Amino acid sequence: MARSYLFIPGNVPRMLQNADVFEADALIIDLEDAIAAYEKEEARTLTAEFLRAHRPESVEVYVRINAEDPLFTEDLLSMAPLGIDGVVLPKTTLASLESYRNSLEKHNLDVPVIGLIETPDAFFELLEIARFPSLKGLLLGAEDLSATTGMKRRPGGEELLYCRSRLMLAAKAAGIRAIDTPWTSLDEEALALDIDVANRLGFDGKCAIHPNQVPAINDAFFPSEKELKEARRILKRHEETNSMRFSLDGKMIDKPVVQKAKALLQKAETYRQKGGKP
Amino acid sequence: MKYENIDELLDALDLKDGMCVSFHHHLRNGDAILNVVMKKLHEHGLKRLHLMASALFPVHAPILPLIEEGTIETITTNYMNGPIAEHISARGLKGTLTMQTHGGRARSIAEGERVIDVAFIAAPAVDENMNASGVQGKSACGSLGYAIEDSLYAKRKVLVSDHVSPSLKDPQIDGRTIDDLLVVESLGDAAGIVSGTLKITQDPLGLKIAREALRLLKALDVFQEGVSFQSGAGGISLAITKGFTETLKARNLKASFFSGGITKYHVDALEEDLVDRLYDVQCFDAAAIDSLRKNEKHFAISASDYANPNNPDRVIKDLDVVILGASEIDTDFNVNVTTDSYGTIIGGSGGHADTAEDSKLSVIVSPLLKARTPLIRERVRTITTPGEHIDCLITERGIAINPKRSDLLEKLKDANLPLLTIEELMQKAHAFTGKPKPSAAGEKIGIVESRHGATLDNLYKKGD
Amino acid sequence: MGKTFVAGTLESSDCLITLSPANTFSLDIDTVVHEAFYEHIKRVIETTLAEENVANVHLRCQDRGALDYTIKARLRTALKKYKEADDG
Repeated sequence: MARSYLFIPGNVPRMLQNADVFEADALIIDLEDAIAAYEKEEARTLTAEFLRAHRPESVEVYVRINAEDPLFTEDLLSMAPLGIDGVVLPKTTLASLESYRNSLEKHNLDVPVIGLIETPDAFFELLEIARFPSLKGLLLGAEDLSATTGMKRRPGGEELLYCRSRLMLAAKAAGIRAIDTPWTSLDEEALALDIDVANRLGFDGKCAIHPNQVPAINDAFFPSEKELKEARRILKRHEETNSMRFSLDGKMIDKPVVQKAKALLQKAETYRQKGGKP
Repeated sequence: MKYENIDELLDALDLKDGMCVSFHHHLRNGDAILNVVMKKLHEHGLKRLHLMASALFPVHAPILPLIEEGTIETITTNYMNGPIAEHISARGLKGTLTMQTHGGRARSIAEGERVIDVAFIAAPAVDENMNASGVQGKSACGSLGYAIEDSLYAKRKVLVSDHVSPSLKDPQIDGRTIDDLLVVESLGDAAGIVSGTLKITQDPLGLKIAREALRLLKALDVFQEGVSFQSGAGGISLAITKGFTETLKARNLKASFFSGGITKYHVDALEEDLVDRLYDVQCFDAAAIDSLRKNEKHFAISASDYANPNNPDRVIKDLDVVILGASEIDTDFNVNVTTDSYGTIIGGSGGHADTAEDSKLSVIVSPLLKARTPLIRERVRTITTPGEHIDCLITERGIAINPKRSDLLEKLKDANLPLLTIEELMQKAHAFTGKPKPSAAGEKIGIVESRHGATLDNLYKKGD
Repeated sequence: MGKTFVAGTLESSDCLITLSPANTFSLDIDTVVHEAFYEHIKRVIETTLAEENVANVHLRCQDRGALDYTIKARLRTALKKYKEADDG
């Protein structure tokens, strides 16, 4: 479960081949907004050749494809066979997901989707989107959203509170990831504020638009000492009682909670191995 | 004697063909003196000169014709880049090129191995008694460390200055060691003499390497009260210096000294009381000069007191950590900072080989890949610093520890750092780049001299 | 005639491929890593052209240290543009 998702433009070789050193848990290679119309072909081919030759290990790889045909189908057909962890679908709506599913079925493909939620209408079908087959996560796209709605973004500002909460709730209800929108300046203080709000609201991770943002995101979404302590206590009691159902501090603990505690400790260990927190 | 006309000065000197003239490089790329003097020596009909300049920069390109036709036959230097370096790498010179280290140059002069006939010492400020300082005057450059041995041991010592002052505070050069003073209009271009403000790298790759370096230092328990530290002025080195001082602050520790080339980051640490002393052999920016002028515990030192291996009081004998760069490194940990992979001279040891040997821990920081040129080779093109003095290599894709340092490996056993053998790191690079064809070499043009005076390696022309 | 098809850039780690129809095949490689990788780059280009079944072109590669995948990608893109123009 990734903490940080680093956007990488799909047409810059120097950035593609170095992307995995920046310690992001996931990469989103961008064939859409970072690429000018006349470069779409170049970017797609470069990304495909890169993934064929040097697909980075121990990092999730997503590709943000274009939302409209003919680019949409060409991107999908090119990326799907490459063993990526999923595509990021811009301007996701129920209708666009139906269209996506049809294309996949027509070409006998199956690729998970992270739905980029960046239009007002998507917010009123969020639960159905989240529960759509192959949906792996919801990603909040506040840039486009604020551009089209007139929202004025401030770091961690209330203008996004409703959208963030609603998206997070829909994702959790469907059991998929809630990923926060990137903060688009390199101001460290502003970034810290924006990260903090997303973290407190229950998001699982956040996007980065620059490698320098990644360490702060990784640190913030690393499980807290409090969470880890609690998880260790649960597992200890589980081992002592040799049971999946027991009482701890007057609360009933059952299987999902035990499994969640295990997963949390494992997640922390993986991040620690990566060098997230010494 | 005092002169205001260079021809009069030269007429008074005992000039001979084949003699050795020396210059320091504290005026960096703003130097106007070396070119003027060499041109004048040429005009006075001298030939087959041995130029012993501690460094040569792009600003010195005008002496190329003198090298080509043999007025300058032999060159001994610690560092060179730009047109002169490119020319010599491609075409050689009439005599030999010897590349020394900062400490080795001082040693060879002090021990009489190298005899300087005339030392031309550019001095930003002088007084009537020919004392000299580097921190006053319009051409202020800071510490004059690389000029001190020249001022003590050359047969004839000439100060060149553009600023005569009634009084100098703490002159670094004692007028009693000086023979002549030449007063000129200007020593050079202030903008070229001193960098405005050196900035830490913003390149994410460089920052990642800096982060890994700090993690390694922490894992090796380097952060103790009284630790001593040195690093260069490159973007990654500065980022590490900044991280180093931030860690001291966070852990409530104070370092004993920082040495070498001094920058604003070193000065900030001194002024925040995170380090006790600065030992300055050269100032890299305006903040360093300013600090040398006013801070009591910021000391200008000579190259010998800095790094002469036979000087028992040299500062770097107590150095705990040094952070260094590399153009290439090989699987025996030999480091090249003298040439690129194709044989063009792009620098030289400077203090690299000195500090690597004397420091308790020497750390190389470098990207593993520079576009398609891998850092790690089976054998470096030129050995600047022998592998036995190199302890760690930090790249963005992993860290390699010299197998000779089993003590470090032991300490890092449970450290959760991306440790690999240097061969494994090389394979990682080759997985991206493919294996490069080794570069061809032309005829020998000179040598790399170790700080102790032995020949460490040969220098060759670029291949065809 | 006289049309050229271009892909890539002169940025570090990239290469600029310029392709134009010709009566025979000619290849011009200008690379910053000449000594180390010229022969290798030549092989990569020739192999890719053979795979794509293209012969009579003048191809110029201005390389700034691109890895193999980049050279192949830029070449394939230029070739796609060339073939599409040919069909059209």
